[in-house]
Amino acid sequence: MSSETIPQVAPEVLAVHEQMKRRQRIRRGLTYVLASLICLWITVPIFFIFSMAFTTQETVRSYPKGFLPFIPFSTETMTFFLNSDGIFEGVINSITVAVITLVLSTIIAAPAGYAISRYIFPGRNFFRLSILAVRAFPIVVLSIPMAVMFIQLGFFDSVYSLSLMHTALTLPTTVLVIASVFASIPYELEEAAQVFGCTPFQAFRTVVLPLVMPGIAASAIFTFVMSWNEVFAASILTIQNRTLPAQVLFALGNSSEAYQFAGGFFLLIPSLIFMFFIRKYLFNMWGQVSK
Amino acid sequence: MAEIKVQNLVKTFGDFTAVDNVSLTIADKEFVVLLGPSGCGKTTLLRAIAGLGMPDSGVITIGGRDVTYLPPRDRKISMVFQSYAIFPHMKVYDNIAFGLKMNGVDIKETDRRVREAAELLHIENLLDRFPNKMSGGQRQRVAVARGIAMQSDVLLMDEPLSNLDALLRLEMRAELKRLLSGIDATTIYVTHDQIEALSMGDRIAVMQDGVIKQCDAPTTVYDMPENYFVGSFIGNPPMNFVEAQIIKQDGALLAKVGDFLMSPHQVMVPLLQKYEGESMIMGIRAENMETLDRPADDALKVKVLVVEPLGAQNLLTIRIGDDTVKVSTHPDLKVAADDHVWLRFPADKIRWIDRGTKQVIYPQ
Amino acid sequence: MQTKRNWVPYLLILPTFIYLILFFAYPMVRGLNLAFFDDEANLALHAEASSDAAIADLIPQSASIEILGRQGNLVAEEVLDENNLLTEIWFTIEAPDVDGNTVTGWASESRIRVREEAEDGTPIMGTVRRRLGSNADPLTSVYAEPNENSDVIGQLEARTEVQIVELATLEVWFLLKGENNGTPVEGWAPSRYIQIFDDEITGRVDRGNSGEFTTKFVEKMVNDRFFWPAMRYTAILLLLIIPTQFVLAIVMALVIQAQLRFNSFILYIFAIPLGVSDLAVGILWFAIFTQNGLLNSFLQTVGFIESPSSWLTADSRNWILVAIWLAEVWRATSIVMVIVVSGLQAISSEVLEAAEVFGANMWQRLRYIILPLLRPSLQVALILRTILAFQVFAVVIALSGGDVVTVLANETYRQYFDLRNSNVAAAYALLILVISMFTAVIYLRAIRTQEEASAT
Repeated sequence: MSSETIPQVAPEVLAVHEQMKRRQRIRRGLTYVLASLICLWITVPIFFIFSMAFTTQETVRSYPKGFLPFIPFSTETMTFFLNSDGIFEGVINSITVAVITLVLSTIIAAPAGYAISRYIFPGRNFFRLSILAVRAFPIVVLSIPMAVMFIQLGFFDSVYSLSLMHTALTLPTTVLVIASVFASIPYELEEAAQVFGCTPFQAFRTVVLPLVMPGIAASAIFTFVMSWNEVFAASILTIQNRTLPAQVLFALGNSSEAYQFAGGFFLLIPSLIFMFFIRKYLFNMWGQVSK
Repeated sequence: MAEIKVQNLVKTFGDFTAVDNVSLTIADKEFVVLLGPSGCGKTTLLRAIAGLGMPDSGVITIGGRDVTYLPPRDRKISMVFQSYAIFPHMKVYDNIAFGLKMNGVDIKETDRRVREAAELLHIENLLDRFPNKMSGGQRQRVAVARGIAMQSDVLLMDEPLSNLDALLRLEMRAELKRLLSGIDATTIYVTHDQIEALSMGDRIAVMQDGVIKQCDAPTTVYDMPENYFVGSFIGNPPMNFVEAQIIKQDGALLAKVGDFLMSPHQVMVPLLQKYEGESMIMGIRAENMETLDRPADDALKVKVLVVEPLGAQNLLTIRIGDDTVKVSTHPDLKVAADDHVWLRFPADKIRWIDRGTKQVIYPQ
Repeated sequence: MQTKRNWVPYLLILPTFIYLILFFAYPMVRGLNLAFFDDEANLALHAEASSDAAIADLIPQSASIEILGRQGNLVAEEVLDENNLLTEIWFTIEAPDVDGNTVTGWASESRIRVREEAEDGTPIMGTVRRRLGSNADPLTSVYAEPNENSDVIGQLEARTEVQIVELATLEVWFLLKGENNGTPVEGWAPSRYIQIFDDEITGRVDRGNSGEFTTKFVEKMVNDRFFWPAMRYTAILLLLIIPTQFVLAIVMALVIQAQLRFNSFILYIFAIPLGVSDLAVGILWFAIFTQNGLLNSFLQTVGFIESPSSWLTADSRNWILVAIWLAEVWRATSIVMVIVVSGLQAISSEVLEAAEVFGANMWQRLRYIILPLLRPSLQVALILRTILAFQVFAVVIALSGGDVVTVLANETYRQYFDLRNSNVAAAYALLILVISMFTAVIYLRAIRTQEEASAT
């Protein structure tokens, strides 16, 4: 073998190869360019509103503002926004509603998600399908009758009634997400734990729970963000106890741009933080939808 | 004419060399099986031939045409995948017709070939069905039908039977053999199952760590392994290896196993001369040893550790020195664990292996 | 997966099930009711001045009426604080009558002047008032029951001292006459439903207490001046947003699938809009398009314009549409991207390789393998996006103030919040629901027929 000359690839094939490699490099380069462009498309508006939220009110009013990175930094606008009427209460209300919603919907949805992923029972498909249908339901349709209902029950304009409403909105998503989280843990693990002497509940607690916790946490975070973002039902169902988005929406018509921009950025914050943690889970969450 | 020639092929994935300077020539219409443990590079080699992973260096020619870096569609090949890779959104008919359609075969000819392939695989009744409700065996047939409907000169098969259950695999193995002998394609068949390899291939290329250790007809690979690895990999049980000292006593070259002395086959004597005073590995297959239930001069006394009755034969596990040896015996020989038996080693069945190179030494 | 059939799974889904019935099914029914049922359409007229009496006739809300008579009637505690309620107080009194006998019976508060009250303010003693007017009966009647139509059980002189034993609040009922669709109707009705004019003998039905099916809320919705603009803009935005979103989402999904070096970071950036509310997005793009916003600043700094142009005024509707379009594409493409990526990940690489081996080039693979296999995901994304697109509203308010360009969801909000008309708001809400469902069905149909066509 050593005495043989090393065979050479035919030049025309090598040319094809070179061309293909070149094309692949170009394609990859283009993909990078595309990725950068889309990232810019998403981040430039965020960066701009960030600059507006953290600068002087004078700068917000000034024109032209010049190029982005050179806008002076100041906490003036944000401080002004946070000290405006109803904002502090709004933030507290929003957080209260979102936390109640995530607790309530996780507690209610977790057993249902487990049932869908672990049992085959008559009516399972019907249940799954109704959840899917309900999940695509317009919020608008529910908010009006709910408001009328809550007024009649004397339970109107409270963070609790709004939490109940938000739970109804997030529940279907939470059920499906939790079902997909459970489905990713093989049932054999539970059975194995039972074989080694656990009761079914112990098996669930010691084996399954630790494995599903990250997924359920991601789903809870997503629920929090959904509730935090919800504007329509919040505006319809609250008058005095407005959540932050409802308060900002209400004040939109007669507030300064400084207020609006700072409010806009403030509303963005949870997404900026939480999406970082749950981005890997998004595909699990939504992959389930199309099955 | 579709002779496949692979020369000095190298393919790495990062630090890992999957195929290491492999050269292999496969004659037109020949059926070669690439056999090896998982991770030995056999699938990588097949994919390089298919054009699904470009090699780092080396040349691949098909029918004299250099295809090394050509995309798969320009290679005039056809392939059956491990997971079948049936297009789930197409009916069986369209699955089989896909390649013909892509290659611009006219509709009438396509129809004829699809039906012919379906008939060969007994899936005529499935043509109008979608694959999602079909069994693994049926999908397998569709995948094979799609592969042969192309009537390419080269057919590549990547562990096509590995996803089937044992019984079905046995049935499909026989059927595939019948089928492939009927078509004229040069076939490369990847498998980790040595029974498949031994029963189907014209030649078997045994691979390990990205290198082809031996490429020969099945019987040759079995009887006359070129090296330690091939012997240890092929056969169930694999070849036994026993350490022996080569000594000279009274002018005769002898092998000494423990206290037992025996003479190598006379054609081997000149070749073993240079190992005098050294130790060698003696390779012998389980069925090639004679087992006696009473002492004989030319037999080694051993103690039986385990007896495994396998129906047609009994498999005894014994120890010779530090080596564990499996011996197959006729069921009529009544032995139990802890009994003693005497083993006789026919000289012509013993393969002598160099301890350093792990190569089996054969006379020229 | 457990196949054992027992009651455990039902127990597990029960909370969700109950919750969904309470907060989906019930509000749906209530919504239908609000949109199509006028709770106050008619006023029931009773044969006698009592809610127990048979209902003689119905008279529509806001009909003119003539008052023929009035009578007090004991009133239930829970209606006491309703608007419009006319009440009178009657006392059970004990007093010597004209014949000198002691009578115990009912007299109206208007006939007794309270002279003495207990510590808690309950009247305990009073005198009979004098009658004014020349031809008035000088005596005051004592009745067996607290109404003037009951039996008179005694007559009291003016200024007679009376002991007040008990008091009762009565609601005034009116005997009224009016018309229902041209038919004259007559009967008793309580004061709380009626508005009496100053002349004390005419009035109108203020509200009804007996509902009926009506399309008037729907009519009111359709005749609203914002209805057709809202329909039009909703449709235009849908047609602009959805296709752009899908193209962009597929591109984004392919970028993610290309596994570039900073894939995880790129995914984070791509996912941010997923968690942003439509209000925040509205403000974000308002900041860009407003008169002294980013766009004008940029254009002027670069030198394209001399002075800031207005993008978001009534004169530049189309620019408002563009702004809403961009804002929605910015916000809601991520979710489509996520669904498409999940779909792409489900396509096995061997299937794509098989296509490659059997001769398909890149475009053929996209056309014959990838897109068909992606279809279920695209379907779901399409339906989801369309339904969600009908609900866009805060973006529209933020970018147009909600007047210049308006959409259906915004009109729902306006009707409920600004105009306080929950019935018309419910009609809008139902319209959104119907359109959403209709679109979903059309999509499914279109997809199915396409499948049938390709199957033959």
